[in-house]
Amino acid sequence: MSDGKHKFFEIIKTGSEFEFVGRAKSAYALSTFLIVGSILMLLLNAFVIKSRGRILNWGVDFSGGTEMQVDFKDDVAIATVRSALETAGYKGVDVVRYGAGGGSDTAKKFLIRMAAVSVLSPDQADAAKAKIAKVGEASLKRFEVSEGGDKIYLRFDQSLTPEAIKGALSSAGVETKGVEAKGLANEYEVTLVGLGDEVTKALEKSLGSGAVSNIPMLSSVGAKAGRQLQIDGVKAVLGAMVLIMLYVGLRFDFRYGPGAIIALAHDSIITVGAFALTYREFSLTTLAAVLTIIGFSVNDTIVIFDRLRENIAKYRDRKLERVVNLSINETLSRTIWTSGTLLFVTLAMNLFASGVIRDFAFAMNVGVIVGTYSSIYVASPIVVWLTNRAAAQGKTAPTKESARRRRDAEAV
Amino acid sequence: MERAWWWKFLMWGGITVLAALYLGPSIPEPYNKKVPAFVTQLFTKKIQPGLDLQGGLHLVYSVDVNKAIGAKVDRVASDIEERLSQKIKGFKVDREGRDEILFTITPPSDAAKLDDEVLGAHRNAVDEVSRDNATGQIRFRLDPDQVAEIKEFALRQGIETIRGRVDKFGVAEPTILKRGEDIVIELPGLKPEDFERIKTIIGKTAQLEFKLVDDGSEYMTKVAASVTPGGKITVVPEPWTDKNGTQHNNISLRAKEQKDLVDFFAGLTGELEVPKDREFGVEQIADTNPDGSEVADKTQTSWRAYLLHRRAAVTGEYLAAADLSWDQQTNRPEVAFTMDRQGAVLMERLTGQNVGRKMAIVLDGKINSAPEIQSQIGERGRITLGGFGDPFKVQQEAKDLVSVLRSGSLPAPLTKSFETQVGPTLGGDTVADAKWAMVIGALAVVFFMLIYYRTAGFIANIAMVLNIVFMLAILAAFEASLTLPGIAGLVLAVGMAVDANIIIYERIREELRAGKSARSAVDAGFARAFWTVFDAHVTNLMAGVVLYSYGSGPIRGFAITLVIGILSNIATAVYMSRWMFELMLGRRGVVKQTISI
Repeated sequence: MSDGKHKFFEIIKTGSEFEFVGRAKSAYALSTFLIVGSILMLLLNAFVIKSRGRILNWGVDFSGGTEMQVDFKDDVAIATVRSALETAGYKGVDVVRYGAGGGSDTAKKFLIRMAAVSVLSPDQADAAKAKIAKVGEASLKRFEVSEGGDKIYLRFDQSLTPEAIKGALSSAGVETKGVEAKGLANEYEVTLVGLGDEVTKALEKSLGSGAVSNIPMLSSVGAKAGRQLQIDGVKAVLGAMVLIMLYVGLRFDFRYGPGAIIALAHDSIITVGAFALTYREFSLTTLAAVLTIIGFSVNDTIVIFDRLRENIAKYRDRKLERVVNLSINETLSRTIWTSGTLLFVTLAMNLFASGVIRDFAFAMNVGVIVGTYSSIYVASPIVVWLTNRAAAQGKTAPTKESARRRRDAEAV
Repeated sequence: MERAWWWKFLMWGGITVLAALYLGPSIPEPYNKKVPAFVTQLFTKKIQPGLDLQGGLHLVYSVDVNKAIGAKVDRVASDIEERLSQKIKGFKVDREGRDEILFTITPPSDAAKLDDEVLGAHRNAVDEVSRDNATGQIRFRLDPDQVAEIKEFALRQGIETIRGRVDKFGVAEPTILKRGEDIVIELPGLKPEDFERIKTIIGKTAQLEFKLVDDGSEYMTKVAASVTPGGKITVVPEPWTDKNGTQHNNISLRAKEQKDLVDFFAGLTGELEVPKDREFGVEQIADTNPDGSEVADKTQTSWRAYLLHRRAAVTGEYLAAADLSWDQQTNRPEVAFTMDRQGAVLMERLTGQNVGRKMAIVLDGKINSAPEIQSQIGERGRITLGGFGDPFKVQQEAKDLVSVLRSGSLPAPLTKSFETQVGPTLGGDTVADAKWAMVIGALAVVFFMLIYYRTAGFIANIAMVLNIVFMLAILAAFEASLTLPGIAGLVLAVGMAVDANIIIYERIREELRAGKSARSAVDAGFARAFWTVFDAHVTNLMAGVVLYSYGSGPIRGFAITLVIGILSNIATAVYMSRWMFELMLGRRGVVKQTISI
């Protein structure tokens, strides 16, 4: 092909043709293994591995609860922090270090997650409810902790002074910021102290006063809001998939659409599987990464499809498998460079950055590798398979009606 | 052809200069010293550091619309009740479920009297669900259209109210949005010490009502007669004579504890049952000496009761302004308010007909004060605060009340469902961590492009740098806030731009290998690669749009920068680098055989 006039710096020698389509069978085996493995890992996490207990390590965005960063004045051990919080009665406490990998102050900075969104855990709320069932002569008629956990609504059958309620709650171990009467139906609104203050108190009780130097971040999500975010997340992923499939179907042909969609479903499942395996936190940011991977995977697939469409017109006499293989080879240099640079950048982010960015980068690392693989070994062979099947069916039932129906079925 | 060259030069040059000017104000200290003053005067918009970078408070509240619907049904029920009571006496009203009103009329033959005329203006607001002439039971339900309207109104009003309160608090650049039935509030730059206070202010319902006091009624006399002397309740007569010379025997019931009064009201049954159009309210007052003057120890307080008209004569919706002021005599902080014109008319009518009587100012169901109407008053009034505590706290309370009143009342209570507090130092740490990763990544890409594609790589690098400038300028022009996920979106967009260049260059190389001249290889390369690049970007654009519409906070930040980046990519990676290639190849007509790619 080369006339020798141009000397390019290249990694893939011009005219080299590696076999890809011919290896589709072993690729299917690998993909099936990875997908089944990913789904199995989710189930293992949920039902078998006792220490995990949930299909994914949901971040507080999804599971509801509180996440906070706590900076200590001196070095502390993780176990000390955890036991201090557990002694104070917090459930589902998870403590990890944060900060740049190996930085000097990592022993002072922690990321704490807990199930509570409120200073009042459900157990504490029940205990408090039992303790204030009778305040003086009045008995408690209603006890409701608000969704966000920052307020309690109380109703008694007789009236009480806010001070009396405050006192009663205080002796039940519940610190309040204010108690206000609401109307005359003996209803009261109790504002609880902030969770940050309360956690600081609990930590300083074990570690000595002044041990906590700063709480740079605190985030709490009600369980209901978390569920809503999960639903929205699934909707976003499915919505993006449907749109992309429609676009690919319209721009190319409906024989190409399923290949692109199966490839990106493949990529998202395996990426989620990687999160299940490593049990890294799966948060809103991770979800954004999964959606980015969907975009990237389609990008990769489209480059190959585009070349395939061009080559099909060019080499009408060749077998489709060969044309697909040629197209993959022709775009191989680009695929390697693009995926390579993206992998390099995200790998650097994974190694050097911290927190949110690191999780995002990890998802991207997995996604880039799987995405590149699936464009070559999953999306393209599916086009071959579908085209051959369509050709076989076309011979037996060449009616317009069946073609339309088939297309409709594929478009769904 | 030569003209086209110049036009493009002017266009790209102009866009670049404009972008640079837009970015001027966004350059952070201390690097902004060299920015000429005219730039910052002409271009004021700048990129805001997001909540995660500069700290602040992110809140999501759910609006309890059922409470708003309940309140509306209550109002409708009491209205119909009052109108019906002018026609017949034997009936009972019950509120059932969220949105139903059940009238039970005795004798059932009177049921026909509850007709459209009685419903009046509420005819369209409620639907008659069932009417049983045998038992005299008529059931109404709030019209579904009304329900939808109340929901919509509660959300819209909620957002405006919160915006008003936050503005009064003086937070720079607050974002308050509706999402589904939730209200999302972002307060970047808010100091951690203000977090708790602003949450309290945002959550206040602030329902202000003015209700006439009816302590001089016969009913009150009967109630006073039932009080056991020497018990917890004391009866204090407050007689007065109006301008016509009529004597009124007002009675005030007092007790040391609020509880005693409320228990006493609960015990009023049979003949003494509180009339349907009346209700009791209580106010905390400073203790008085036997001569009526207040005792010196202001912490000694007791409670007094008022018999109020159930219906509020005037409500806070007519409020035009509220200000912090000081009581001349006691030197306590108080809140002075002004009514709007309609409110002033209502207030004039109310006060004009009732000079000498008392009017209770009720805030969130609690009597704040019940001053005597000295003369007809119009638009102005005052609310004194229960100033029995720490004067600094009272002043703070008065200030908060002012901002709450100014912003109006919340139509429905809010419950917090999501909260993120970010301290001011967090962002800096994270950025410092991520900075090196990004610098290393960017440098690697730049070197790769230079080594692998030589001059063409150089063009791609210039296009990439300008692409970043354009993206940031667009962000500045929209005054968008830049969050960490937003930066990730930018990085991804830059990655896609590099990819677009690689696709184009590989294509040009192929055309060259096929033996084409440099010019026609470039032409063919760009033309053929265009649709590949376009398709790749459109699919990502769709993912970005989906992310934007379903996502919240951080995800939206990512989606916005991704979408902006995609648009800017097509401009720079395709059109701009194409133009630079033409510069490199020289003018048309001169056939250049080699190209450094």
